Amino acid sequence: MPDNTLSAYEVHKFMSEMDILVAFTGHFDHQMITILMKNVRGKLRNSATEIAIEQKVYCVLVECVENVSKYSSGNQIHSGSGMFLLCKSDSKYTIITGNPILNSDIPILKEKLESVSKMSREELKQLYRQQIMSERETENSAGLGIIDIALKSGNQFQFNFRPLTETTSFYHFQTEIEINP
Amino acid sequence: MNTLIIEKSEDSPAVSFDPISAQLSLSGESRPENAGKFYNPLLEWIAQFESLLYWRKEQKMDQKPVVFSFKLDYFNSTSAKYIMDIILTLSKLSDKGYPIRVEWHYDQRDEDMLDAGKEFAEMVKLKFEFISS
Repeated sequence: MPDNTLSAYEVHKFMSEMDILVAFTGHFDHQMITILMKNVRGKLRNSATEIAIEQKVYCVLVECVENVSKYSSGNQIHSGSGMFLLCKSDSKYTIITGNPILNSDIPILKEKLESVSKMSREELKQLYRQQIMSERETENSAGLGIIDIALKSGNQFQFNFRPLTETTSFYHFQTEIEINP
Repeated sequence: MNTLIIEKSEDSPAVSFDPISAQLSLSGESRPENAGKFYNPLLEWIAQFESLLYWRKEQKMDQKPVVFSFKLDYFNSTSAKYIMDIILTLSKLSDKGYPIRVEWHYDQRDEDMLDAGKEFAEMVKLKFEFISS
């Protein structure tokens, strides 16, 4: 049996075992995100989840995916490229995104993520109000999106950066939405 | 002044702003590629509409209450900033004495959408009517 048949089976097996509902790797521009989100909507509808959870997953996923497109867009070599996974187990949905990022963008992003991750729900709401009133025309800012993800996921997210080249790293972001919170 | 009608698309909401009936509505999904490009004309329309309201007031004409209906299924965080701008503008109109009513429609199963409306209402001194479907 040729090797590629075997690998297709392995990928399929891996995806089933990991409960992967949707997987995508490639270029994340606005049109692609629109197509992907339509597909995700359909998958969520079919997965018989409560509307409230479905909406949460959808909202968080859009913010995550838009972040991929934002953070990789400044990068000439990997402009807009990245990946995302949407997994569903009995107890939760897991969203994973990954994309190359310029090392020069890491310190500010890391600082934002770390400060948000330590906040209570009340502090997050306070910051959300502050940001929504002050931020204008800064569509590259991840501020409001990250706070939204933190609020909707109950502040359950992890991230790391793996060095790729001298000037770039791979940014991994993962968050979870509980099905029965 | 013209009625502003924008058809809903896959990533942007339907807009219907009618100066005669003073009924304004925004409905659907909001995740436009360029939120400023989509929302700035809406804010400009409301600014023009204020001149019309002022003129009607000066003419001692009957003022119909301005009803703004938000019927959003979903909006992303970038759109949230512009929705806030619309609400702040409506709040300023209300402060100037124009009768304003804000209706926030939501799917009763979608608590986050109700919370989002409550959150907006709390940030301005404007009473929202929450209408579930």
